[in-house]
Order: sequence, then C-alpha cells, then structure tokens
Amino acid sequence: MSQNILLIDPTTPSHIMARSARELNDGLKGKVIGFIDNAKPNFSYLAADIADILQKEHGIRSAKIHRKMAASVPAGDRAIADLAAECDLVVTGAGD
Amino acid sequence: MAICSTAFEVLGKAQAKALGYADLPISIVPHPFGRHNRTEIRELANKCVADIVALSNGQMGGNSAEKIHANVRASSVQLPDDMEELNRVYRERGWTDGLPIMPPIADKVQAMVDYVGRAPGEIVSCIAPGFGAATIELIAANALMAGCNKEHLPVLIAAVEAVAARELNLQSIQVTTNPAAVLLIANGPMVQKLGMNCGINCLGQGNWANAVLGRALRLILQNIGGAAPGLMDRSTHGQPGKYSFVCPENELQSPWEPYHVERGFRAEQSTVTVVGAEGTLNMNAHSKKADELLRIFCETLAHPTSNDYRMGGGNPWVILGPEHAAVLHGVGLTKADVKQRLWEDSKMRASRLSGIDMQRMQWERQPELGEVAPDAMIPICKSPDDIGILVSGGPGTHSVFVPSFGITKSVTREVVFPE
Repeated sequence: MSQNILLIDPTTPSHIMARSARELNDGLKGKVIGFIDNAKPNFSYLAADIADILQKEHGIRSAKIHRKMAASVPAGDRAIADLAAECDLVVTGAGD
Repeated sequence: MAICSTAFEVLGKAQAKALGYADLPISIVPHPFGRHNRTEIRELANKCVADIVALSNGQMGGNSAEKIHANVRASSVQLPDDMEELNRVYRERGWTDGLPIMPPIADKVQAMVDYVGRAPGEIVSCIAPGFGAATIELIAANALMAGCNKEHLPVLIAAVEAVAARELNLQSIQVTTNPAAVLLIANGPMVQKLGMNCGINCLGQGNWANAVLGRALRLILQNIGGAAPGLMDRSTHGQPGKYSFVCPENELQSPWEPYHVERGFRAEQSTVTVVGAEGTLNMNAHSKKADELLRIFCETLAHPTSNDYRMGGGNPWVILGPEHAAVLHGVGLTKADVKQRLWEDSKMRASRLSGIDMQRMQWERQPELGEVAPDAMIPICKSPDDIGILVSGGPGTHSVFVPSFGITKSVTREVVFPE
C-alpha cells in the first residue's frame, strides 16, 4: 500500500481582495446611468435603447455612454474616472 | 452591472469574482448577441431594464461578496504516492493541460525555490484574468509539473514578469474567443546553457527545454492566471501552441544582431520575450531574389480575417529561416529595411474586410488612420517597428508568419540566473 506524499496545489485564488459596489436601493428616478460600450456589434444599440427606456419610463436624469476603442482593451482611465464621478450605476457589456 | 451573452455568463461571473466583486449583478442576453435585429434588441433592452430596475430596488445582487483570503503561500494536498492516482486527482481538479504531469512534491518545489535564492511567497506578478499571485513557489510547482528542472525556473520567473506588462494585454489574450497564445522567444547565452533548440524543428517537438518551458508557462497562465478552458479561457478553437510555444533565436545563423540586442540588451544577457501570437503559417518560397521573397511574404501577411489589420495595435512576427535571411541580407538589407518593406508592401485594401469588420476597423483605427475609405490601403500595424523579425530554424526554404492578437506588444525581460 502506497504512502501519502505532500504536494503543492498549483492554483491560487484572486489576489484582489473582495470589494463592495455602491449600494443602490432607492429606485432610478433622478439617477445618472453610465454605460461602457464594449465596441462589439449591436452593443451601442442596446445601450442607446436601455438609456431611452430608462429616461422615458423610469425618470433617470441622464445617461452617459462611453464606447471603448476596441473590445480587447480596457476602458480608458479618463472614461473610468468620469463614469465613477458622475454615475450612480454603470452598465458594461461582455462577450459577443 | 454587466450585460453578458449566455455564452459568456461563466466568464462574466468568474471575472467579477476575480476582480473582487463576487456578487456583481449580471443581466443575461441570448448569444450570439451581434446577430439580433433592431426590433429584437429593443426587446432585449426591456429585459435589461427590468434587471436594472430590480437592482435599483435592492432586489438583485448585493454586497455580501465572498471574502477572498489571498494567501501568498501555496496550499498543499496529501495524496497517495502513486503516479496514476495523483495524476487522476490533478486532472479531475482541472490542474493539468490534459497530459500527465510530474508531481509537484513539496520538498522538490522547495529545492527549486532554494536554487533561485528567493522567498517562496515572493510575488512576481498577478496574472490576468484570475489575478492569482504568481509567487516563486507557485511558479516552481507549475514548472515541476511540466517537467522542468531548477535551471528552468529563472526563465519562467522572467516570463511571469513579462506577461504582466500592460502592453502585452494578457487579460484579453487569456479570455478571447481568438486562438491567442503566448509565444516565448529565447535569446542570449541561455539558449546554449539550457540546450534549447533554435535550429531544425525549433517550433516543434523533441527538445526538452523548449517543450517544458512552454508547457510550464501555459500551466502558469491556466493555474495561477485562472484561464481554464471553457471557464475563463473562451477560445473558440484554441491552437496547438497553447500546449507549448517556444522559439529560441538562431543567433549564430542570423546575419543581423539578435533580437534582444535590437531591444537594447547586451548580447551576453539572456532574455525572454513574450508575444501575443495567433499561430504559425508556413511561408515556403524557393526564390533567391530578395524583392520576390518580400513580395510573397507581404501577400501572405495580408488577409482579410486578420486581427492585425482590423485592430491595428498588434505586433506580428516573421520568423525567417536562415536561408531566407541570407538572401535578404545578401542584397544589403538590414532588419529595419526588411521591416519597412514588409510594412509598406503588405498594406491591404480596406474593402477586403467583411462589411461589419470594416466598420469595426474604421472605429478602432480611427485615432491612427482617421476616416478610412473602402479603397484605402491599411497597414498591418501602426509602424514598421511593430513587426518583429527573428531568425530561427534549420536548412530549408521556409519562413514562418506569426500573426498577432491585434492589440498587443511583445515584452522582453532579462533572465537572471543565480551566481
């Protein structure tokens, strides 16, 4: 019968500690909603339509849409800072 | 909040968790999202709005994020001293590349760490997309699994530094649907020291150092970086280079300065260069005329499914066989001359791209090219210097085109061996 040996687990979880997103539980009226368009086909239409519905039917104050230069790059630092400063909620797209 | 198509829900959740937001609300739309018409998109927008409304009323997601206790010391596992059994366990836990591994026995990992004289918990970098901390100990464990010995560890430490450089764009390379892999180029004295193969079949099988270094880097990207196939690695097909992808330069057969010298290193330094690569394409050409060789190379580079042409932020490579390099050098061309000719003469008519990809190119390359008309000739990358040239391989009338991921720049780091 074979003995046990001590081996290393080659995996590791994220080194980024858990963070909390901003709480949002008082509805959308008067809120500013941001969008990061991932530059994939159709997302610009989806963001525009969501913004339109939110403004007409849910009373948001405004929408800010930032389109990335390409799906394969992060949003720019300036866009991130702008969205973080101005928006109550930011919606981003992932995938095709 | 994120909006994901169904095929990317797994990635969206895993990515949010890796970034510390385990409970990030995700609104799901059917895949493939890009095929929907405007009416369908409006309907999907209503669905997303319903999710946003629920979120705004505290009915979706939350902030009870699972606390991730990142520990810089690796976890260990007790298993029977039986190769078949421990291989079964490692394979079933998704810790391998599918091939049998050598067991990363704790004592052997420690011996490898001792060789480089660094603390086992020292973090070399955090690797996207999972952002696991690549410690010396974990790099060594994955190296052992791949079949490396201690002398390979400094190479992998340098590679782990390199892949974390922002300009490589590892985040996208690891999660993309494209067949993107990390090619590892070796230069300097370590090619001889480690017995690497830069000659016949240098990109193929049969050499220990080439094989295990590439395999170890892949295991590191998967196990520490979290890019497990089907989970965060979303590649539609992948490619064989995702098992192992290494190419040392054949510096003795090159008529020009080695690549690392071109990048500002001294010839006696050893370096690794990591490349966001999409595969290899043979360029078999019997011509002994430099102009003709360059013409057909350029015609090979230009193809309408290329990410390089569409995105324009890439770093494609041409690995010249020594015979082709001799032909080009024989008419007095420098490496810079070759790059210039390749860049100029491989420009492609924009309308060769599909309609939707031309629209994407017009957006993505607008800062670089301005408004691009359908009959405009677009370059493969921003500047001639973004084309990498390497001389490798053995006798024969072959060179290799390595298209890049499209938004990536190669990164070079020195390999430092212990005294």
